[in-house]
Parts: sequence; C-alpha cells; structure tokens
Amino acid sequence: MKHLVMTRPNNPSTSTSPRLPGESGGVPDTAFDLWLQRSLHQLFDTVAKEPIPEDLLRLIEQDRRK
Amino acid sequence: MIGDDRVSQTIFHDQVIGILPKLRVQALALTRNRAAAEDLVQDAVCNALSAQDSFIPGTNFAAWMHRILRNRFISNLRKRRDTTDIEDVPSSVFATEAPHEDRLALKELSSAMGRLPADQREALVMVVLNGLSYEALAEATGCAVGTAKSRVFRARRQLEAWLLGEPATGTTAPRGRDATIAGKAGIPMSAGV
Repeated sequence: MKHLVMTRPNNPSTSTSPRLPGESGGVPDTAFDLWLQRSLHQLFDTVAKEPIPEDLLRLIEQDRRK
Repeated sequence: MIGDDRVSQTIFHDQVIGILPKLRVQALALTRNRAAAEDLVQDAVCNALSAQDSFIPGTNFAAWMHRILRNRFISNLRKRRDTTDIEDVPSSVFATEAPHEDRLALKELSSAMGRLPADQREALVMVVLNGLSYEALAEATGCAVGTAKSRVFRARRQLEAWLLGEPATGTTAPRGRDATIAGKAGIPMSAGV
C-alpha cells in the first residue's frame, strides 16, 4: 500500500475546486479509492450474497397476501 | 381503485425483497455484528411493512427503506444503552486464495472500518457498495447533501490516513441531543420515519 501515490485534497467544505478526489460518489478516482472500493466489496459481498432467511421471506409474503 | 392498490402493494413487497442484500450491508456497517445486523434487518422490514401506507409510490424507495433501518438502529441504541463497535467480519472473508499481503490489508481495513464513526462507515458503504447517490444518502440519513458528501469524503481520507500511515484527519463523534448514546456509535440523531 505504501507505494501508492495519493492526492490529498482539502476539506470539501472549504475547497473551491468543483469536484474533489473521492468526491465522485461511487466512482473512485484515486489509487487508494480504487483499492478501497475493491476491498470493501471483498469484506461485505459475502454477507450481501448470503441467502435471505426463510422466515424473513415468509413474513414478507404473508404480508403481501393480506 | 382496488386493482391499482393491489398492484402497488405487489410492487412494494417486491421492492422490499429486492433491497434486502443492501439492507444487510447497511446493517452490518452500523452494528459490526452479524447476528445484530440480521435482527436489525428483520426489525426494519417489520417496521416498513407496518408503515407501507406512508410510502409514496414513485419516490425513492431505497432512501425510505434505508432510513427506516437507520432509525430502528438508533431506537435500539436508546433502548440498550450500549455501544456496538464489535469486530465481526466473517472469517471466511480472510480464508481466501488471496495473497498473504492482501489478506493482511483486508484485516487492517476491517479493523480501521471499526474505528470510523458509524455515520461515516454507513455513508461510505451506502455510496460505494449500495450505489446510493449523495442525494439519496442525505434523504436516508436525514442530513444535508453537503453533510452526506462530507461523511463519505472524511471516511475515505481517514481510512487512507490510517492505512497508509499518513497524518489523520478529524473524526470526532457528534455532540448534542442524545450525544451519550449516539456519540458512542458516531450516529447523529434524526427524525423518525
């Protein structure tokens, strides 16, 4: 990680630039942001992709039929 | 029109099912505990089903649903009077074929995520992983769009500082109403749904 060359922008609330690195929402624009996005997916995707518990689905379907 | 109501109701339930994976991600970002995250999603879904008449079709369903989950999390914090900064990333995440250095970096990132204030952690995953716009994030978390942008920005830069060993930026917990509870979790209080 130490070899990555990063930009270090000012605080967004005081900056006069129209768009700051890391300020483009889900679109990363520095090497660190790209790494962060990929790594967050590795950390959280396992959980997001787990099957939905049956009792939760049953609860929603029961409500749908009301 | 009863028929129209029936169609809206069907769409509503399909939307609830469709957003469940993203609610899990938000819940895990807030609680840092898988069991608590599952409970939180279930509670939020119950609240959403009870309040489905208050959802206006055509408005941002994701923001509405994320806000319900967030408010439920805050409500639970008030009841439990406890902090939830538990390190609980599934071990399977680290048991991959990835090179040793990558696994270490993931562990460091996981630990650093746990040190972020919960509002920044939540904002980061909702934008980066759940694909919310800043406007939707602001709507979901009951803050100004500028505040939403700032939270994501500060989370990124704080993680960068911690992980690259560069000077840290401020991540002070919010103060004010219910600061004792919300401040511990890094959550600013907002109006309920």
